[in-house]
Amino acid sequence: MSPVTTVRLIAAREVRQRLRSRLFVGTTLVISALLTVLAALPAVLGVFDPDQALLDRDQEEAALPRLGVVGTLSLADRAAIEAAVGPVEVVEVADVDAASAALLTASDDLTAVVVPGERVLVAPSGQLLRPASVVATRVAEALALGELFGGGPERVGEVLARPSLPVEEVGEVDPAEATARLVVANLGVVFLFAVLIMYASMIINGVIEEKGSRVVELLVAAVPVRWLMTGKLLGLGIVGLLQTLTLFAPPLAVLLLTAGDAIPAGVGGLGVAIAGWFVAGYALYAVMAAGLGSLVSRPEEAQAVLTPANVLMIAGYLVGFLAINAPTSTFAVVASFVPFSAPYAMLVRQALAEPAWWEVALAAAGTLATAAALTAVAARIYEGGILRTGARVRLREAWRAG
Amino acid sequence: MLVLEQLQRRFGEVVALDRLDLTVAAGELRGFVGPNGAGKTTAMRCAVGVTTPDAGTVTWEGRPVDLEVRRRIGYMPEERGLYPRMRVMEQLVYLARLHGLSAAAATANATHWLERLGLSARRDSAVEELSLGNQQRVQLAAALVHDPVLLILDEPFSGLDPIAVDVMSEVLLERAAAGVAVVFSSHQLDLVEDLCRSVTVVDAGRVVLRGDVRELKRAGDRRLRVAVDGEPTWVAALPTDTEVVDRGNGEVTVALGARVDPGEVIALARASGPLLHVRLEEPRLSELFRDALQDRLRS
Repeated sequence: MSPVTTVRLIAAREVRQRLRSRLFVGTTLVISALLTVLAALPAVLGVFDPDQALLDRDQEEAALPRLGVVGTLSLADRAAIEAAVGPVEVVEVADVDAASAALLTASDDLTAVVVPGERVLVAPSGQLLRPASVVATRVAEALALGELFGGGPERVGEVLARPSLPVEEVGEVDPAEATARLVVANLGVVFLFAVLIMYASMIINGVIEEKGSRVVELLVAAVPVRWLMTGKLLGLGIVGLLQTLTLFAPPLAVLLLTAGDAIPAGVGGLGVAIAGWFVAGYALYAVMAAGLGSLVSRPEEAQAVLTPANVLMIAGYLVGFLAINAPTSTFAVVASFVPFSAPYAMLVRQALAEPAWWEVALAAAGTLATAAALTAVAARIYEGGILRTGARVRLREAWRAG
Repeated sequence: MLVLEQLQRRFGEVVALDRLDLTVAAGELRGFVGPNGAGKTTAMRCAVGVTTPDAGTVTWEGRPVDLEVRRRIGYMPEERGLYPRMRVMEQLVYLARLHGLSAAAATANATHWLERLGLSARRDSAVEELSLGNQQRVQLAAALVHDPVLLILDEPFSGLDPIAVDVMSEVLLERAAAGVAVVFSSHQLDLVEDLCRSVTVVDAGRVVLRGDVRELKRAGDRRLRVAVDGEPTWVAALPTDTEVVDRGNGEVTVALGARVDPGEVIALARASGPLLHVRLEEPRLSELFRDALQDRLRS
């Protein structure tokens, strides 16, 4: 029987056994259903309803800015203001104290208060370029201009209408796409970390099951150890992909159906990048988990022996998050070529910095080559450790025995 | 024929195999016995390729035991092992297929052995749901399911109840009669004596006794068991080439050298009191085993 047939048999058993576990299948389906409901929520709540969005905007536009005035506003001043900011509703305010109180009361909805000849009052600005601040600034400018030119509102309007130098943005950045890319980078890093940790744990438990139940001695009498390891990794990898698809395909489909127009086109390709880096990351960390798993016989020792792989996974995850803040930095670029952080860092760069295709290919090749080298190391440790039941086997002993 | 020749294996400072030889011919049922730590399990693991010897060779029909040969071996490891959560039938079919059988042949064989071992009703149970005795039966089925030409069983009788011992004995005899080479290790020497034509005794990684069980017994020191009414003071006057090997229940067992006349010893015993009973026997295998170990210790 060929190695391919044997590996396929072993992989098929892994898939069958996992899919037969009601807990595994049940949990996956429940989480998938929850995610699908979450994905449908924006549509249900009308967040993406274009008609509703237009209506909201019309209502906003219909309301005139309310401008308070302490005392009286001359017709010339009012004309200058309206020339600058468009029609306004003028409200009389008794004095400066009343003006301050009114500005700080949301229900009064005052944009600004003019104290003619003195100043323009506005509520404290929580954020830069708040619309009220902009209006207040323009009102102040219009009044100053009116005073300067001494002329009628026509002159102010003329001055304000004079075209200023054009301000041009270079490149084509769609703000919606930029936001979506940032979200994908964040979610992608979290997703990769979660699934890699989950499948590393699944693999180590699979190895320990065979070692702890001692069935492995029966198996290695008929199957070379490397085939056994390969079959197990392949089988659990397929289970991982199936689970990932079950978890994320329905919510993604719902999201695309209900809000496809709201998702910028450039983001779609990132889904492929996430899937690709999942495969590369799985190849890297799965072989580590298999090699380390062969050193112990009891499930309670699994997490302890998996620590080196977990530390690398957590480090990669943190590096990914740092890279999100500075996707074009030297740090992010270097991290995207280091095999253990590449799945995270290159994904972030693909989302936020658009690296050249050869950079992505090089990082993927480096990760896969490292996985291949680690497979040889892990297989030797697996060979040396898998038959030694009982106490934990030292790495060095397993290496020598392998 | 399986031939283990001059096998050597060390684990650190411990010598597990020290130029050990073992042969098992087709149709032969050979017992492989020795005290704990004698090297039986290591030798069997070398035979199935689970452990690699430091030196020496393992051959089957004159060719090295490679993967193709290993797939034709039925193996029962000392530390029993099956997938606890996998169903019995599915597990047997899987193991048969890993040994190279087609899906149809694997299913047919698994069905046959489950029926033969009285497990048909449990074919869809997970192994962990079975009693220990039934788990042992599944383990035996796992060793047999792929029609092996060579059976290597490490302590197959350990932990079995008397009925299961009978079933196991029956199956081993039947397989040997069908031309399969069978070797099994055991601490139950009386069982080995009853079941096997040939035996190999090992100690400290070396063979200390081997051959046809009947011939070995014939060649060994006969045992004279004598009970006399009174104190067995007569043993002080035993001739040379005799040895008291056991005293208990008022009976003295004397090992007689080849040239010793049993009548002479009986006369000696009778002189010290009336005889209650006398029995002259060939040695039991367990006695030959002890003799061999003692000889080795003396040397």
